[in-house]
Amino acid sequence: MCVCVYVYSVCLIFFLVAFIGGKNLKSPQNVEVYIMDDNFILKWNWSNDSVRNVTFSVDYQIQKMDKWNKLPGCQYITSTKCNFSSLKLNVYEEIKLRVRAEKGNDTSSWHEVDSFIPFQKAQIGPPEVHLEAEDKAIIVNISPPGTKDSVMWAQDSLSFTYSIDFWNSSNVERRTETTVYPRYKISELSPETTYCLKVRARLRLQRKVGVYSPVYCVNTTVENKLPPPENIEIEARSQSYVLKWNYTSVNVTFQAQWLHAYIRKFPRNLSDQWKQIPGCENVKTTQCVFPQNTFPRGIYFLRVQASNGNNVSLWSEEKKFDTKLQRNSSKTWLIAGICTALISIPVVIFAVKGLWKCIKYVFFPSFKPSGIDECFSEQPFKNLLLSTSEEQIESCFIIENTDTVAIVEETKDIDEDHKTYTSQSSQDSGNYSNEDENSEIRTSEVFEQETV
Amino acid sequence: MIQKCVCLVFLVVLFITTILSLDCNLLNVHLRRVTWQNLRLLSSMSNSFPVECLRENKAFELPQEILSSTQPVKRDIKEVFYEISMQAFNIFSQDTFKSTWEQKHLKQIQMGLHQQVEYLEQCLEEEENENDWEKMEEDEMEHSGAAVPQLGNLELKRYFNRIKNFLKDKKYSRCAWEIIRMEIRRCFHYFQKFTELLGKK
Repeated sequence: MCVCVYVYSVCLIFFLVAFIGGKNLKSPQNVEVYIMDDNFILKWNWSNDSVRNVTFSVDYQIQKMDKWNKLPGCQYITSTKCNFSSLKLNVYEEIKLRVRAEKGNDTSSWHEVDSFIPFQKAQIGPPEVHLEAEDKAIIVNISPPGTKDSVMWAQDSLSFTYSIDFWNSSNVERRTETTVYPRYKISELSPETTYCLKVRARLRLQRKVGVYSPVYCVNTTVENKLPPPENIEIEARSQSYVLKWNYTSVNVTFQAQWLHAYIRKFPRNLSDQWKQIPGCENVKTTQCVFPQNTFPRGIYFLRVQASNGNNVSLWSEEKKFDTKLQRNSSKTWLIAGICTALISIPVVIFAVKGLWKCIKYVFFPSFKPSGIDECFSEQPFKNLLLSTSEEQIESCFIIENTDTVAIVEETKDIDEDHKTYTSQSSQDSGNYSNEDENSEIRTSEVFEQETV
Repeated sequence: MIQKCVCLVFLVVLFITTILSLDCNLLNVHLRRVTWQNLRLLSSMSNSFPVECLRENKAFELPQEILSSTQPVKRDIKEVFYEISMQAFNIFSQDTFKSTWEQKHLKQIQMGLHQQVEYLEQCLEEEENENDWEKMEEDEMEHSGAAVPQLGNLELKRYFNRIKNFLKDKKYSRCAWEIIRMEIRRCFHYFQKFTELLGKK
């Protein structure tokens, strides 16, 4: 009897548990992790809407731990998503998560998410943008994605590059510009026009492109009376640098300033970081000179401003200046180099060809008339050593000239047949050095026939 | 005549491509010089390593295997160096070490490291296609938010994270900064030597 009651009660409990409880409670489905900047969100689906008063709980495990831990903020919650940003994780270490459903004392089995590294999973959020308008430019101040004490991008805030999409409100023309500095000036715009833009960040090495910021719009101001100086150039002389710019109106004075380039990497206000270039204050000319030792090795930015007593212009473009590279001047040299190369290539080819033909004549003298031999042994050989094209052409003419001279000398002691032969060959060599290959072949054939 | 033309075009193309690639090679020469300058600077910031800091020293485990394990591709090496330079620049740009070294040295090392970063940036940019952003976006969509994992890069991130945490734990003390200075010097030195070896092969 006792045994029977015992068995009965066990059966009942088992039945109840199986029917109402755990084994019947399905685990959550489609569990996914979303990370943007420092916001961590876990979402899942729950299909059993018929089962009421269900709660969910999440566990996490990181590499160093051998046990699962309760994920703070994600215990016995009723919604199907949970924010676990408060957990201060090492974003470069792997983490595992698992979710289950609970009802009373019953629980579903765990649904485990594939382990992931937060830094790799994270999306770059929208950067914050602040605009300043000038008459023909907009200055875009960008705060890097994430909060100021972001953990996710703590080591990358200086590595962001930004792309700025902007357009004129009245027309659909769009432009995109990119910058590695968080403060960027879009120039060559029209005054008193509305421009709109949006910005997104990217991390080059991580191959990550961020989410666009909201669209910001701004009106450019009324055109300034004094335009800013243009075409800022810097030139290195033996002991000094010369800063030059263009300016149309007269009776204007200028001043120039400099800034360490590295400071521009930091998203902070730079207006008090610019410093006067000694020797470039109140300059009346459109250039100023300062000693090279003003700037120790490094990269700088330079800018120029005009003023005429009453009015002050806006600052010019900020010209990058590398003491080591002098990149701009090297670029013009490069272009000059390409141009000269392009011109000289055909000339060189022409010269080499001429030279080759001359050499062929000298060293492989098939049926050569005696006059040519003489001509090569004297003058032309000296010229052959000089490799410039002009000389080559000259030497070829010399062949012709000396040859005819040689004919005059030799005609005396050779017979009639030979005379025609030499005079013909002299014509040939003239044609030949004028680079007509076909005629060369033809005439040499004629020549062969004749000698036979 | 056609042959001549083809030959000429070929030569011109060859010449132009050499000239264009010259820029990055030219940068490499400067880069090498700047890196050695920075190494010297890191050595000369203090006269000698303070003995009392020795016991606080820590092994940061520079991930040497990221360079030596596989046959490194040129671009990968550049990327690794970019990361190292950027992280070092990041560390030395913190406002928390004003008293440790002279202001003059600090500015110099910040300038030098930035120069390194700048040259590498230009170089990497030159090699990228213009539509790279779009390509990257597509890549990202395919991998549903997770960019292509770059293990080497992650190892470097962890290494510099250890350095950052060490500084924080030691409350940016003078000793902590001295130890970090030596560590970053070691890292640069290792990298420079490695790339030189690679160049000789």
